[in-house]
Amino acid sequence: MVGQVLISGVLSGALYAMVALGLALIYGVMRVINIAHGPLLMLGAYTTYFLYSRAGMNPFLTVPIAMAALFVVGVLLQRTLVFRVVDAPELSSLLLTFGISIALVNLAQLAFTSDLRAVEFITGAWVIGGLALSKPRFIAFLFAAAVTALAFLFLKYTRLGKAIRATSQSREVALVCGINVARIHLLTFGLASALAAGGGALLAVIVAVQPEMGGVWTFKSFLVIVLGGAGNYPGALLGGLLLGLVEQLASLFLTTQLSEVVAYVLLVVVLLIRPAGLLGGRQT
Amino acid sequence: MTRKTLGLLALAAVVLLSLPASAQGPIRIGASLSLTGTYAKLGKNQHEGYQLCIKDVNAKGGLLGRKLDLVVYDDQSLPATAVRLYEKLITEDKVDGVMGPYSSPVSEAAANVTEKYKKIMVAPLAATTSIFRKGRKYIFMVISPAEGYLEGVVDMAAKRGLKTIAVVNEDTLFSKAAAAGAVELAKKKGMQVVFSEAYPKGNTDFSAMLTKIKAANPDVVVAGTYFDDAVALTRQMKELSVNPKMYGVTVGGDLPEFYDTLKQNAEYIYGATQWEPTLPYPGNQEFFETYKKDFGHEPSYHSAAGYAGCILYGEAVKRANSLDAEKVREQLLKLETKTIFGDYKVDQDGFQLAHKMVTFQWQGEKKLTVWPDELAQAKPRYPTPPWAQR
Repeated sequence: MVGQVLISGVLSGALYAMVALGLALIYGVMRVINIAHGPLLMLGAYTTYFLYSRAGMNPFLTVPIAMAALFVVGVLLQRTLVFRVVDAPELSSLLLTFGISIALVNLAQLAFTSDLRAVEFITGAWVIGGLALSKPRFIAFLFAAAVTALAFLFLKYTRLGKAIRATSQSREVALVCGINVARIHLLTFGLASALAAGGGALLAVIVAVQPEMGGVWTFKSFLVIVLGGAGNYPGALLGGLLLGLVEQLASLFLTTQLSEVVAYVLLVVVLLIRPAGLLGGRQT
Repeated sequence: MTRKTLGLLALAAVVLLSLPASAQGPIRIGASLSLTGTYAKLGKNQHEGYQLCIKDVNAKGGLLGRKLDLVVYDDQSLPATAVRLYEKLITEDKVDGVMGPYSSPVSEAAANVTEKYKKIMVAPLAATTSIFRKGRKYIFMVISPAEGYLEGVVDMAAKRGLKTIAVVNEDTLFSKAAAAGAVELAKKKGMQVVFSEAYPKGNTDFSAMLTKIKAANPDVVVAGTYFDDAVALTRQMKELSVNPKMYGVTVGGDLPEFYDTLKQNAEYIYGATQWEPTLPYPGNQEFFETYKKDFGHEPSYHSAAGYAGCILYGEAVKRANSLDAEKVREQLLKLETKTIFGDYKVDQDGFQLAHKMVTFQWQGEKKLTVWPDELAQAKPRYPTPPWAQR
């Protein structure tokens, strides 16, 4: 039983990590807490749904398209709205992204209606040694792991990635070194939106798509990055896996109802013992 | 704003409010409905049910010799907004009667207002028992309570001699009540509840819970669900090959989307519904046809309950021969009738006693009524084969 549950924990943990990495990026670089992260994920899910149902595409192949589309949306949001609150007190960015989130959810309700949509693509499981490996969840896991790994490689080894990390460490020094900080901000928000969209696209195969599906993901991502250390990118990975495992183990040994409680208790404990998160704050 | 304009505004307000409502104009029925927001689709169906009812009543000459008129506002699916709107309907618009909003939480909130002003509110889409057990005098229930949703599955299981049952539910008002009803009934029928657990709203991963259910190996699994969780739960039951002899869900299982989403995996699954167009209730067929013609789509049970609730209010007014709340209340308490929605009879709290839930099973892409026997269209396909053989 424990083996089965550990598998589920790792499978959902990878998805948490991927989505939360987006939130961590924005927070790290701009100190903006993006409440609209979940609704951006929802838009990614709708992209997959429409490409699957209207154009008959394989939903897993729509992942890069959803990511590219939401990258553009993210850049536009940054260019028109979010850049205004980058240097403002944190409450302003909270209010702004909260507003964006409400607007996105309601626009989605208007445009797509609140009907529940689903992408029925692969169901069932592979059974290996008595343990069931859910097909859709496992494929989603592989995609999430690959995208997260690519994002890390990008941050670590490319010039742009280094520029993003430099901006995150110290904006002034980055400016002095000739980095176009405004452009880095655009890129960061786009990249973060793309990560959310990727998560949404993968989720579309697992759960129903509807305008309010994103809300819970904002909170989960928030939980993950605080656990791992806000603005710390490997921390998002650790936090994601941890959240996935804790939720599943709590469901097994206590009840499913208590799994969220346990996750938040863990958050409080971590904040008490290591206020900056498990891997510490904004180091990159 | 200057003191003078304020004064003028106040004066205008006083003048407007003191205009007497024309005594022999139409009878104005007010309601707030969820025309936007989470419940938009369902609220719209209920709205159309009201509209069709008003049209039908007017076609038969109206009530007390007066025509009916419907005043509707949008509460955006928010209980707090509904409270404000009922306050406005009653105190500013001075409507002659009100009808209930959509959903239990919104009805619960609105009932505080209608009770305060002693207005009769037939609440056709409130299914939560507690709303009617708070000593309220003027609210009336039309649909079956949440506790009855899983009655059919449990009853069929007990008749087939099944002994063990697992009950799970989303941790929200309605689903909790549905699960509690199932547990109580199963115990009464001598079944053993081997597993029972709630999961939080928005939960997407049920593998730990299902692993525990698999270990308990129950004959029957029933779930107090909405759509999302019903779909996710079913998919994961297949993935983890949890194979009960019967598996039933509550809400969500009756939507066409449920089958579209799960395809052949929805086969054999039981669900419950308040109403179906095929049920042999008086006038049901005509209602279905007219509704489809007027609104361009098929009615849901929300439409039918809305229609029936409004007809019931009209009937009570007719029998009381008055709009007076006390007299109408007396009639609604006494009334025993059958509408297109099925039976109506309430107890002293206005709580529905007579209306029956029907249980269906997905069979060959169709939702066929299998319980109760007198309304059944088909025999249940039993037992449910293991997932691998569907």
